[in-house]
Amino acid sequence: MEKTMQKESFYKAYIKPLLRHKVFSLFMLLVALVILFSLWSSAKGAQFFKASTLRNIFNSLVLSSFLTMGAGCLLISGNIDLSQASIGAFGSMVLAAAINGWGLPWFVGVILSLLLCALFGALNATLVSKFRFPAFIATLAMASMARGLMYLFSSIGKGGQASNIAFQNDAMNYLGTGMIGEVPIGIIVMLIFFLVYGILLAKSKFGLKVALMGGNPVSANLAGINSKTITYILFINSSVLGGIAGVFNAARLQQGSLMALQTNQFTGITAAILGGISFGGGSGGMGGAFVGLLILNTFQIGMGVVSVNPYWINVFTGILLLVALSVDFLTQMRSNRARGV
Amino acid sequence: MERSLEFRGIGKLYPGVRALEDISFKAEGGKVLALLGENGAGKSTLLKIMSGDQRADEGVVLLNGEEVHFSDPRDAIAAGVSVIYQERQLIPSMSVMENMFPGALPKTKAGLFDRARLRRDASEIIEKFGLPIDPTEQVGRLNVAYQQMVEIMKAYRRDSQVIAFDEPTAPLTDAEINILFEIIRQLKAEGKVVIYVSHRLAEIFQIADEIVVLKDGCLVKTLTTAQTGESELIHAMVGRDIGDTYSQLSRNESFGDVVLEVKNLKTQYVRDASFKIRRGEVLGFAGLVGAGRTEVARALFGADPVTGGEIILDGESVTFKTPREAIDHGVALCPEDRKEQGLTLQSSIKNNIAMPVVDKLGTSLFVDRTQMTGLADTAVSRYSIKTPSIDKIVMELSGGNQQKVILGRWTNEKMTTKLLILDEPTKGIDVGTKAEIYQMVCDFAKQGLAVIFISSELTEVINLADNIVVMHNGHVTGIVPRQEATEESVLALAMME
Repeated sequence: MEKTMQKESFYKAYIKPLLRHKVFSLFMLLVALVILFSLWSSAKGAQFFKASTLRNIFNSLVLSSFLTMGAGCLLISGNIDLSQASIGAFGSMVLAAAINGWGLPWFVGVILSLLLCALFGALNATLVSKFRFPAFIATLAMASMARGLMYLFSSIGKGGQASNIAFQNDAMNYLGTGMIGEVPIGIIVMLIFFLVYGILLAKSKFGLKVALMGGNPVSANLAGINSKTITYILFINSSVLGGIAGVFNAARLQQGSLMALQTNQFTGITAAILGGISFGGGSGGMGGAFVGLLILNTFQIGMGVVSVNPYWINVFTGILLLVALSVDFLTQMRSNRARGV
Repeated sequence: MERSLEFRGIGKLYPGVRALEDISFKAEGGKVLALLGENGAGKSTLLKIMSGDQRADEGVVLLNGEEVHFSDPRDAIAAGVSVIYQERQLIPSMSVMENMFPGALPKTKAGLFDRARLRRDASEIIEKFGLPIDPTEQVGRLNVAYQQMVEIMKAYRRDSQVIAFDEPTAPLTDAEINILFEIIRQLKAEGKVVIYVSHRLAEIFQIADEIVVLKDGCLVKTLTTAQTGESELIHAMVGRDIGDTYSQLSRNESFGDVVLEVKNLKTQYVRDASFKIRRGEVLGFAGLVGAGRTEVARALFGADPVTGGEIILDGESVTFKTPREAIDHGVALCPEDRKEQGLTLQSSIKNNIAMPVVDKLGTSLFVDRTQMTGLADTAVSRYSIKTPSIDKIVMELSGGNQQKVILGRWTNEKMTTKLLILDEPTKGIDVGTKAEIYQMVCDFAKQGLAVIFISSELTEVINLADNIVVMHNGHVTGIVPRQEATEESVLALAMME
């Protein structure tokens, strides 16, 4: 075994596995997109490679990145959460009210908002693991409830009329728009989160259990992996990350907005799947999810730079998702056939 | 014209592996031809070629003397070739009759679905087979044996001339096997070509007229049942003499204290079960499918809730709410369905072995990879699991090696297993590996483990276990020591009314 390994060429030992790695092919897709858009935009006389495009991409990344991490972890474990964005929106409204109406310090507001989101996550987990609702349905219902509660909450004391809640807070403003050097705070927080989640998933005992549970929940349970605990942790994690997205949204706008994260309902899940996390659970990681997120955002902003009709951008995003899934499916089919399955 | 299915020089290559080489034989109508071989011998590949699921790289298939080329299973079905796989191809949520007539539902003159006629047509076939199945029953509610019968009737209904069975008896009890054999004899009497794939030699002598033995993708021998014996077959299959497997086992002779005592156990499915097992003892569980054996195992393991009675483990009364609690108390279960319940198929050998002890791999938050690899390496060498690497995903292993992975999971150095429950551990496993697993069971007993051995294969339970618990309809109907157990006496208890 050892000897044959040594005899194998450098190509076979290092390059080939890298080429075969999912994240690598995703990265190549990202590079292809960047090239496509720079050529396309220069053909149209616009410029893709400029600071503002890059900033746009990264700014739009921040909110969806937290959703992607939450969605990604759940998908790996074989579950799904459609409610994280709505829960985050509710959280951001509570945060705004806490600072503006109740006069609480900003960090108390943040903690309060995230605790509330955690509660929603725990409810999701209870519905799924205790009452055996399919996660898809439980969280779809929760999304509707959270969004509705957000409207009700914002209408308290305003004669039943829901509206945005604005606030003034320097610390929050810094969080939303501040920079360290040339890099926005949000981006730094996002990168730290990705790093921590990436390492936890790939290297920790908990991460291994999540993947094993996603691979086959029945066998994992019979092998003593406590899927209930994991389900609770991941649903709470997903909604708290939704809450963090909500905090950044409120910080950037200096208000609790009725429209908060409205368009981000599915971005987390979309990016995670684009990043090679399989829908059925059991495989994928944060590296892929990050690249998936970059692909999604590059694609959407690139379309904007070459001034494609924004309505079409939605259509193309859908097509991109289908293509990514088909490629994944085809590669799986091919490897299955090679094994004679 | 005489019906026949002939293979001429069939060869099949998978990347890097030669699955079949120059296979030639002819199966004739009115006869049962058995296809025999260890796992990986090429039986499944040959069936897949027959059913149009895969194409041969060399050679031709002739149906009734004419060359046929199936590009997908529909072609094969249209030509009258049906393969009944171990994995059911039925839709559990639909009725028996709808499953029997897929894509051929009768219509009324107005072009609407004719339910009454469908029911009539289906009942006619069911009666012909003499089965107590209601055509409107949901297939998912039938037991495994009857589901299989539905599949056979589906093939029969299509007027298939060739019907192939892939290990049909694996999930069946002896009584159900008899029903199946009756049906096979009926098909034979009608002049159909029946191809029968199985590991079980006894069955082959019961049902087959001719035997084709495959080994490593090559045809070793074609034999007539009447002119051969068990030892010749085993020799042809494994290339060596196994002799009397059971008498060669090196068993544990000394038993220790009682590890587990179960008193009047009740669950949703178990009505009343009481028994004891000592350290170093192999306790067999016999009974028909649905007798409650698996359910006793699940209750002991915390997988099903206990509704009554008492479980005493090492002198302490216990109730486990989850498998995790049971594992922490030294109880381990190799579940009945290896692929669905035992393994995470897409995961590596390494991961599958470490599953219950992930938290014990090192003291930090992170997985200690060296320890993890160590566990897998030990299991692979101790149980001679055939694999090029511990990173191989378990789906690519043969059934026997998969089972060894699960055994490696429960008996590694990080586990404190004292009671090992094996539910159908030899199901779908070839003769050679079976013998290995029997010896493993005896070795576990020698190491002081209490082993519960559940099996539908009567010979196996009777010959391997020190004592045999017989169950019927949720009750324990008797406990028989090996010295007194015969197939007849155990069967009588298992079918007690």
